[in-house]
Amino acid sequence: MNVAVCVKQIPDPAGELALDPSTHTLVREGKLILDDSDSYGVEMALQLVESAGGGEVTLVSMAPNNETSGLRTALAMGAAKAVLISDEALAGSDALGTAKVLAAAVSRIQPDLVLAATESTDGYTGTTPVQLAELLGWPAVTFAKKVEVSTESVTVRRQTEAGYDEVVSPLPAVVTVTAGVVEPRYPSFKGIMAARSKPVEELTVADLGLEASAVGAAGARQQVISVQAAEERKAGEIVTDEGDAHQKIVAYLEQIKVL
Amino acid sequence: MDFRLSPEQEMLKEAAAKLAAGFGHAYFQQKTAEGGKQEELWAALGEAGFLGVHLPEAYSGGGMGISELAIVCEEVAAAGCPLLLMLVSPAICATLIARFGTDEQKSRWLPPMATGRTKMAFAITEPDAGSNSHRISTAARRDGEEWRLSGTKYYISGVDEADAVLVVARTGTDEATGRARLSLFIVDTGAPGFEATHIPVEIAAPEKQFTLFFDEVVLGSDRLLGAEGDGLHQVFAGLNPERLMGAAIGCGIGRFALERAASYARQRSVWGTPIGTHQGLAHPLAESKVEVELARLMLAKAAWCYDHDLDAAEAANMAKFAAAEAGLSALDRAMQVHGGNGLASEYGLADLWGTARLLRTAPVSREMILNFVAQHSLHLPKSY
Repeated sequence: MNVAVCVKQIPDPAGELALDPSTHTLVREGKLILDDSDSYGVEMALQLVESAGGGEVTLVSMAPNNETSGLRTALAMGAAKAVLISDEALAGSDALGTAKVLAAAVSRIQPDLVLAATESTDGYTGTTPVQLAELLGWPAVTFAKKVEVSTESVTVRRQTEAGYDEVVSPLPAVVTVTAGVVEPRYPSFKGIMAARSKPVEELTVADLGLEASAVGAAGARQQVISVQAAEERKAGEIVTDEGDAHQKIVAYLEQIKVL
Repeated sequence: MDFRLSPEQEMLKEAAAKLAAGFGHAYFQQKTAEGGKQEELWAALGEAGFLGVHLPEAYSGGGMGISELAIVCEEVAAAGCPLLLMLVSPAICATLIARFGTDEQKSRWLPPMATGRTKMAFAITEPDAGSNSHRISTAARRDGEEWRLSGTKYYISGVDEADAVLVVARTGTDEATGRARLSLFIVDTGAPGFEATHIPVEIAAPEKQFTLFFDEVVLGSDRLLGAEGDGLHQVFAGLNPERLMGAAIGCGIGRFALERAASYARQRSVWGTPIGTHQGLAHPLAESKVEVELARLMLAKAAWCYDHDLDAAEAANMAKFAAAEAGLSALDRAMQVHGGNGLASEYGLADLWGTARLLRTAPVSREMILNFVAQHSLHLPKSY
C-alpha cells in the first residue's frame, strides 16, 4: 500500500503575513512550515500503510526556493520520502496550475492512493485536490472523516451537513481528509533525527515534462484584480437592563430568526 | 560564529512546543491545584524521546547534548508547564549515570529514564550543610559487600513521584584537609529504613519538597555510582546541566509571561486605545524582552560549552543568574500589566510566581553565583 500525500508548505499563520502589492499573491519568502491541515493526511497515510503491513508514504509538495522545512516535519512524523517541485516559473500559479504540477509528480510515483487536506490554510480554494483527481483521471472523494482501504477499493465516510455518506471507490483515488479524521502524532526525537537523511527529490517544471507557459503566472486562468481589507466588525448592540432586558433579547433573537 | 539552531534543533523546538501546547498552562494549573503530577505531559515527553535527547543512543537516548535537553525544558516552560523534575531526573541523575555508571547500571537505569517511565530524585542538601558540600554528614559505611547509609537530607524535590534517589554521602575523610570524601549512591524510595517527610512550601508546582531520613539503609555494591570517594568531582559534572535547566525554566517562564502580557496589552482598551500604547506599560515589557533574550543567549552559550567539553561553569552560572532574574521580573511585569486580573487564577500568571521566585534560590542561590563570579571571573578575594 503506497500512499502519496499532497502537503503544502506555507508561511507561519501565527506570523505576520503580507500580500504582494502588485500581484496580490501571498508573500512566500522566508521560512515555510507544514500546513497544519496537512498533518491529518500525513497521519492518515501513516496509519493506512501501517495497518496494510507494508508500503510507504511519499510526500508531494510544490514550494518556492526549494523549501523543505515543512517537508522535514512530515518526514519526522514518519513519511519515507518526498518529492519537491520548485521552480521560478511556478510563481503566481493558480489552483489549476498547482494541480497540473502535482498530477505530473503523482504520475511518476504511481501510488495506490493520494490523500490531501480539504483545503489549505493560506489559500482556502479547496479546489486543487479535485482538479488533481480530474487530471489523473481518478475518482475524487472529498471531506473524509474516516478512511479504510482494501486491496482494490477505499471506503470513506464522507462528512455531510446531515451526517455522513459512506462512499466506496476503486483505487487509485484521491481522497481529501478533514481536520480530526485522525489525531496527528508529534514527531519523536528519533523521527526528527531520521528525517534529515530521508530522500527529498527536487524537481523542476522541465523535469516533469511540463511547459513553463502552462503553469505559474503565465498559465494561470485566474487573476486577482484587487484585494480589499475586510470590513471591521461593528460593535455589538448593548442592552441596558431597565427591567425589560429579557424582552429586548427575546425580540432580538426573534428578529434574527433563531427563536 | 553561528547563532542559528541546526535544522534538527529547530524541529525539536517546534515539536516540543507543539506537544506542550497540547497540554498548556490550564492543564498544568489544574493538575497542580488538585495536588496532582504532570503524568500525562511527562509520559508524552518521554514517549517522544524528549527526556533522553542527551543520553547515549545505546541506552535509548537521542545521542545529542544538554543544548537539546535545554531546548525541550525551555519550550515546555514557555508553554506554561515548568517542570522542575527535568532539572533532577534527566539533567543531573541520568547525566551522572551516563558518565560514571557501569554498563550494568546504564542498562538498568538509563532506558527507562530516557522514556520517562523511571524518575530519579537527587539528594545533596542537608540541614547543616546547605551549599557547603564539604560538611555533608549523611554517611555510608562498608558492611562486607554492601553499604549501610544513614543521615538526613532536606529540600529534596519530587521524591513522592521518584522510583529512586541519587544520594551524595560521605564515605571517608581526607586526612590532609579534613574535608569529606563523598560518594554517590542510588537508593530505592521504597528501601527499608528510607523515610520521606513532606515540607509544605508556598509554590504551586507539581514537585513537592521532602526531608529524607536514612536509617541504616542497606545498599548493594551495584548502588555505588562511579568511584568511591570521588563523588564531589562527579557531582560537578551534573550540576552544570542542572543550572542550565534552571536557566531554561527561567527563560521559558519569561517568554510565557511576556507572550500573555503583550497579547493582553494589545487587546485591553479602557481609554480608547490598547493599554500597550502607553509607554508606562510598553517599556517595562520591552525591557524584560531584552533581559529574557540575553539570558537565552547565555544559556545557549553555556550549553554549547558543556556539549563541547569546554569549561561551562562561568557561563552556566551566569545563565542561571540572568534567567532567574529575567523570568521573575518578566512575570512580575506581566502581572502588573494585567491589573487586578494579574492575580486572578483565570489569567494563569500568579500561580507561577512561586516557581519563578524559587529559581533565584535554587538550584544554586544568586549569592553563591555572585561569589563565584567575583572570585573566578573578577579574581576578587574568596569570600567564604
